[in-house]
Amino acid sequence: MTVEPATALASKELRRRSRKAKVVAPPRASLLRLPKPIRRLQRRAPMYAIQGINGLSTRLREMTGREVIDMNRVMEVIQFLYRQGELARRGPNYLVDDFGFDAEWTESFLSVFKVLYRDYWRVETTGIENVPATGRALLVANHAGVLPWDGTMIKTAMFAEHPHPRHVRALVASLFMGMPMLSWFLRRTGQTVGHPDDTRRLLERDELVLVFPEGVKGTGKPFKDRYRLRRFGRGGFVSTAIRAGAPIIPVSVVGSEEIYPMIADFAPMARLFGLPYFPITPMWPWLGPLGMIPLPSKWRIQFHPPVHTETHPHSAADDNHLVMTISDEVRNTIQKGIYDNLKLRRGVFV
Amino acid sequence: MARRLATQVPSLFGCDVADPVSAIEEMDFVHADTRQSVIGKLVRQLRIDTVVHMAVTVDSAAEDRLAHETNVIGTMNVLAGCAGPSSPVRRLVVKSSQAVYGAAPGDPSFLTEQVAGSDRPAYGLKRDLLEMEQLAQEFSLRTSGCSVCMLRLGYRVGEGTKLGSYLSLPIVPTFAGFDPRLQLLHEDDAAEAFVRATMGAHEGVFNVAADGIVLLSQAVAIMGGKAVPMLPPYGRWLGRLALRAAGVDLPEHLTDVLAFGSVADCSSLAAAFGWKPAYNTRAVIDSLARGKDIEVIEAPSPPQEYELQVYLQRRRRRERNGRANAALALRR
Repeated sequence: MTVEPATALASKELRRRSRKAKVVAPPRASLLRLPKPIRRLQRRAPMYAIQGINGLSTRLREMTGREVIDMNRVMEVIQFLYRQGELARRGPNYLVDDFGFDAEWTESFLSVFKVLYRDYWRVETTGIENVPATGRALLVANHAGVLPWDGTMIKTAMFAEHPHPRHVRALVASLFMGMPMLSWFLRRTGQTVGHPDDTRRLLERDELVLVFPEGVKGTGKPFKDRYRLRRFGRGGFVSTAIRAGAPIIPVSVVGSEEIYPMIADFAPMARLFGLPYFPITPMWPWLGPLGMIPLPSKWRIQFHPPVHTETHPHSAADDNHLVMTISDEVRNTIQKGIYDNLKLRRGVFV
Repeated sequence: MARRLATQVPSLFGCDVADPVSAIEEMDFVHADTRQSVIGKLVRQLRIDTVVHMAVTVDSAAEDRLAHETNVIGTMNVLAGCAGPSSPVRRLVVKSSQAVYGAAPGDPSFLTEQVAGSDRPAYGLKRDLLEMEQLAQEFSLRTSGCSVCMLRLGYRVGEGTKLGSYLSLPIVPTFAGFDPRLQLLHEDDAAEAFVRATMGAHEGVFNVAADGIVLLSQAVAIMGGKAVPMLPPYGRWLGRLALRAAGVDLPEHLTDVLAFGSVADCSSLAAAFGWKPAYNTRAVIDSLARGKDIEVIEAPSPPQEYELQVYLQRRRRRERNGRANAALALRR
């Protein structure tokens, strides 16, 4: 009688007792499964669509002699959609900075804002070379138009025109930080509360900070005063810049004044919703959500040469006279820039 | 915390209204209530030179009256006990909370120690904590021989905390249109901060919270839940009622935090203590998600370990029986 080795027996025994590994397949989405060729077609449909549009674009170019469908634009749209899909699937493992800024998410929207920048408002930007590629700086701009599209366009200008694109971190009135949706969107895209402490922290991190010293008084100004600057707060931005040793770069924006021509301010409604103003324009609120669409005015943005506050000692931040002098200087530069750019602009919409 | 202190001080006395969760050999324990003035006698008879006052309830949705009694009146009694020329107390460490800042849209993104008690009217827990801190400040001004250190602890999400149980829900209702930044603090770091404050000689108020932030939606996703923005953005008490119906009784101050977020600046802690919390906020959430916080037993000696396990088991059994009895009673 031959004695089998114990190991062999054990392995045999094991094999006898073992069960087949259970195949864990993902549950089927639906009972009705389309035939394979159709599913393949579904998978490849985007590719075929792009090819089709490409063919059409070539045909139209040959026929008319000019670009009817710009393939670059089409690809941008597709890229945007693809990127949004990717972002939706990235899970919780993404980075936000301590202010709640999600750079990746913000950059995904840039293509949309660039379309607005180039094609809708046809923004012409001058003096972008005054913005440093690295290091801290405080951008100070005029504020107009009912919604803060001017801030968005200054941010986009940095990406569309500057050789070293940087994120601009704007300061927002605390009122908007208390609003649902808005607070979420603003924080996510890098804005923070307009508190001197926050400004200082951002500047100390060598960020580019955008501030609107006019505040909501600027966005809510009536249409007849649209090119006139409001009071520049109490010059708080100057003392913060001096303390942080950051140069101030005045920015003049022309064109944001006409996007929502505010005829009147319906104060009772504003009080009801806790808003600083309730605008009445030729379209809003008569046309409902359509009234929220801004008019396609022609924009010009000018970045002025920096005002060097970093040459002053820190103690100068408490010198009210100096602070108000610099504040007025910045205000006059911006006001003059607005009038200059108005002359350069041929018309409101061209 | 007591376990960590035991190795560093000659003698240690604990004092609480309830039994300690685990017995520590080096610690003597006294049943006492801070709401009565026994602390003074205790301190004088035992010649205690350092008092760590931790009887401050923050994470409780109980009615304001009770919290006020514990936080303000209790602190007042402790301070009264430590005061006076005959008192041997040379050092006092007081527990406070980040809740003293509250949470509001206009707050700076990083709360420094000086921000608390700003012009906004305070109510509920925030007012109690402010009042309590004020008492401690006055005490430190009056008694020159005693150094006072106050620690404002960040929000903790350990097992059994309200915020922890909120984040552990399978479907987490959030305030529609808000995704606040959360900053948390690990229990170990909280204990470590207290040990360092007790052994050190730092005076003043310090924020104690972890580095970095996570967004609420991120935190919920890490916990494996699903954030559903279904609480109304206005009228936070309504959201609180809805959460209570869902089984999580959030304290009032936390609902504000879940809408606007609250992040403290801990640079003065790092500068004074030369130490910062070991866990960052992300790690705190991760450790909560792994469920490692359930029963932390720090390097116990074997007999103690055994005793502890027996005690815990007994307690669990008692709880289970209690629940069964309650169920029976309901059925009847």
